[in-house]
Amino acid sequence: MTSFLTDLFSNFFVSLAGKLLLVALMIPLIGMAIGFAEIKLSAKMQARIGPYFAGGRWGWAQLIADGVKFFQKEDLIPEAADRPVFKIAPVIVLVGTVSLFVVVPFGPGLIFRDLSVGIFFALAVSSLTTIGILMAGWSSANKYSLMGGIRAAGQLIAYELPLILAVVGSVILAGTMSMEGIVRAQIEAGYPFVILQFVGFVIFMIAALAELSRIPFDMPIAESELVMGYLTEYSGFRFLFFFLAEFASMFTLSAIAVTLFLGGYWLPGIPESVLEFAGPVILMAKVFLLVFTMIWFRWTFPRFREDQLQSLAWKWLIPLALLNIAITAVFKVFL
Amino acid sequence: MAEAVGGVAEITFDTVKIKVPAERWVEIHRQARDDLGLVFFSWLSAVDWTVDVAVGDPPSGEVVDHFEMLTTVADLTEGKRVTFTADLSKDDPVIASLVEVYAGANWHEREAAEMFGIRFEGHPDLTHLYLVDSFIGNPLRKSYPLLSREVKPWPGTVDVEGMPGSAADPTEPSEENPEA
Amino acid sequence: MIADQDLVRHLSETSVSVSLETPDMTLNIGPQHPSTHGVLRLVARVDGERAYDVHPVIGYMHRGYEKLSEVRTYPQITTLVNRIDWVSGYANEVPFIVAAEKLMQLEVPERAQYIRLILTEMARISSHLVFMASYPLELGAATPLFFALRERERVLDLLESVTGGRFHPNFNRIGGVKPAYGSGSQTRKVVQDLPAGFFSETRDAVGHVLGVADEIESLVAGNEIILARTKGIGILPVEVAASYGVSGPNLRASGVAFDLRKVESYLPYDRFDFEIPVGENGDSWDRWWVRLAEIRQSVRIIQQAIDGIPSGPLQAKVPKVIKVPKGETYVRAENPKGEMGYYLVSDGGQGPYRLKIRSASFSNLSILPWILEGVLVPDIIAIMGSLDFVLGDVDR
Repeated sequence: MTSFLTDLFSNFFVSLAGKLLLVALMIPLIGMAIGFAEIKLSAKMQARIGPYFAGGRWGWAQLIADGVKFFQKEDLIPEAADRPVFKIAPVIVLVGTVSLFVVVPFGPGLIFRDLSVGIFFALAVSSLTTIGILMAGWSSANKYSLMGGIRAAGQLIAYELPLILAVVGSVILAGTMSMEGIVRAQIEAGYPFVILQFVGFVIFMIAALAELSRIPFDMPIAESELVMGYLTEYSGFRFLFFFLAEFASMFTLSAIAVTLFLGGYWLPGIPESVLEFAGPVILMAKVFLLVFTMIWFRWTFPRFREDQLQSLAWKWLIPLALLNIAITAVFKVFL
Repeated sequence: MAEAVGGVAEITFDTVKIKVPAERWVEIHRQARDDLGLVFFSWLSAVDWTVDVAVGDPPSGEVVDHFEMLTTVADLTEGKRVTFTADLSKDDPVIASLVEVYAGANWHEREAAEMFGIRFEGHPDLTHLYLVDSFIGNPLRKSYPLLSREVKPWPGTVDVEGMPGSAADPTEPSEENPEA
Repeated sequence: MIADQDLVRHLSETSVSVSLETPDMTLNIGPQHPSTHGVLRLVARVDGERAYDVHPVIGYMHRGYEKLSEVRTYPQITTLVNRIDWVSGYANEVPFIVAAEKLMQLEVPERAQYIRLILTEMARISSHLVFMASYPLELGAATPLFFALRERERVLDLLESVTGGRFHPNFNRIGGVKPAYGSGSQTRKVVQDLPAGFFSETRDAVGHVLGVADEIESLVAGNEIILARTKGIGILPVEVAASYGVSGPNLRASGVAFDLRKVESYLPYDRFDFEIPVGENGDSWDRWWVRLAEIRQSVRIIQQAIDGIPSGPLQAKVPKVIKVPKGETYVRAENPKGEMGYYLVSDGGQGPYRLKIRSASFSNLSILPWILEGVLVPDIIAIMGSLDFVLGDVDR
């Protein structure tokens, strides 16, 4: 039986199909899990209970119910909208998010594809979401959506740079761009890179929050307070795609942060053989910690004004990140 | 104080009311602001004294039809406040605008203009404040009726809409809405 | 409402929009707002990031109170007048009733005055807690809303236990406060006083209010983002404020230590010891801070009032059908939003001949064209929120 399965999955196409199925299952599940965490945690912080009725007294079925609700809604497309672009925009945003799953190492060897340019691929592909958002704003045939979309684009482009630069420090320390390789480097070094790269970690987390358009960086969505910026004209399952993409990318960006800075699936003192099973669990736990922080920030802080946001990125984060790279490189060469 | 502004003072019920001639309206307010320290502009409005009353009770006693302009200004230290009043004729109610002396008079004068039909000379933008632009009439004049009172006397019958198909007719909304 | 064709080009678009490059675009912050202020419409010309020439369009909620009060009797007007500033319902009634009592030259019993004072201060706490809840929400922080409103529920429950209404108490009567329970054939002849346990519950509730004031201060006041969004934004100099008639916490935030509670005698505030919080710069931050400090001072007043409340009748002897003798008077009070005044022209009838309502938010709002000149669009929301107006108060 085991040999049959091994032979089956050694076939490239079968294993590809298996991996695709796995990702397709994981995305909604993870999205719902994080969404559930968000609604329950935010309720706890605000002295409320949160969803209560859907699914016993825990409300775990709330998001499933929401998903079903979104699916069965009428598919509205504005008359003046650019139909192909309008339809493709949410797909592109979701593609940009889901592709990041490919390079997240869930355990030793448990990675969908260990690209030698793993982190480079991840950052490049995550920029697709920016294009998707611009497409959404432009194709909605709504002046306010367009403005919201352009504002979002401005913010996202501004924060791409700190995101990328913050990563470079970790890559220098690891000496490789492969995600698996970076975790290995941390295992060999014996400490997670956050100890040396604390500044890089903080910059990465701030930039990640901005990439997600979450508070404190959600000007594009919230300033058009009645309409949702580029999301205005989207309803039903197209909106669900954006919604899911947000939660999924919360996961993936946190997973990348965990891999680069917090040691990935590894905890000091755990032998390799245990990591094969415990790896995903450890990774999920660390990711949950970061996701918790993101949710915490969302409900604590107000939002930045557009110009404050931009000046934070250009005047503070980018110079700090560059400084970080320079110092790391110097240390790597001389130590 | 009254002598200083050259008007007739009357103090009743803790309210200082100084009657001034309408021609010296702006000048007196400027004096109040600069010399008497009454920098705080409280409000500006008018009272329509007339016997031709469409709603409510007509005034008891003899009343000559006129508008009575009122402003209240105060200071910000001791709590002194003064109400200035001037009389305007009903046929051509015109008075100078106080916008240059107190900037807050802008909105109060717009309201008085649309509600009473008083013209304020020198006001930069005398458009309607509360009422729709197409509104005709001056609601706070005593001669302006409350439309719902025309339709239904007060106290009216209880507003109960009959069951569909029954004889009781649905009554108009009894919300007092002069703009209806 | 405005019919300025140059400005109002996109009448059908009732949502907020922002212009980045398009020169001279009309921004229309529509009548429907996500905030508690009400139906206010701002029409502005936006050039790049900055808004010029802001025209507020009001009147969506104009209910014609001044005309209505000419055809109502005094007790009926009390019902109407609650609804002017609905967030602080009780505080609207008091100056009106005091004006009528002044003209009748009635002596209101001490106990009734103390009760009025306690309820007015509770209304002030309620109103300021709504501000504490909604202002950070407009800036983006969602959490203080829940903390503030949770404590406000305590105050509202107390108000309800005494007056029967949370927002529109309708508790004042000419000559005092409502003495008996029920109406018509149900009226009990026995005078009903405050409900049992009112004072201990009030002490408890205001203790919680102090706690939440500290919580909100730590949550909001130390937050750099809120400081960045409100400090130096919307500075209001004293001369401009006085000239426009801006009153209340907005005026005190600009540096003027002027509080009508210390100056006017509509309620016995002179027997209590409280401070007037004053701001320094007159920016949005100071307006927020002054209101937080006022919550604390209100708690102080309530505690002192409960300690010193005398016993006695709750209403002076008044005839069944109340006719106020001829006269004119202006009574003003320190409402939570600012100075609220009633100019009562009485002709000897059952209702006034003319009642002029001077509402605080009307004058506070009139400053918008001045203060929003050349301001960044997101700051419009920050400044408007900090002025804390309610459209019922503006439109009457």
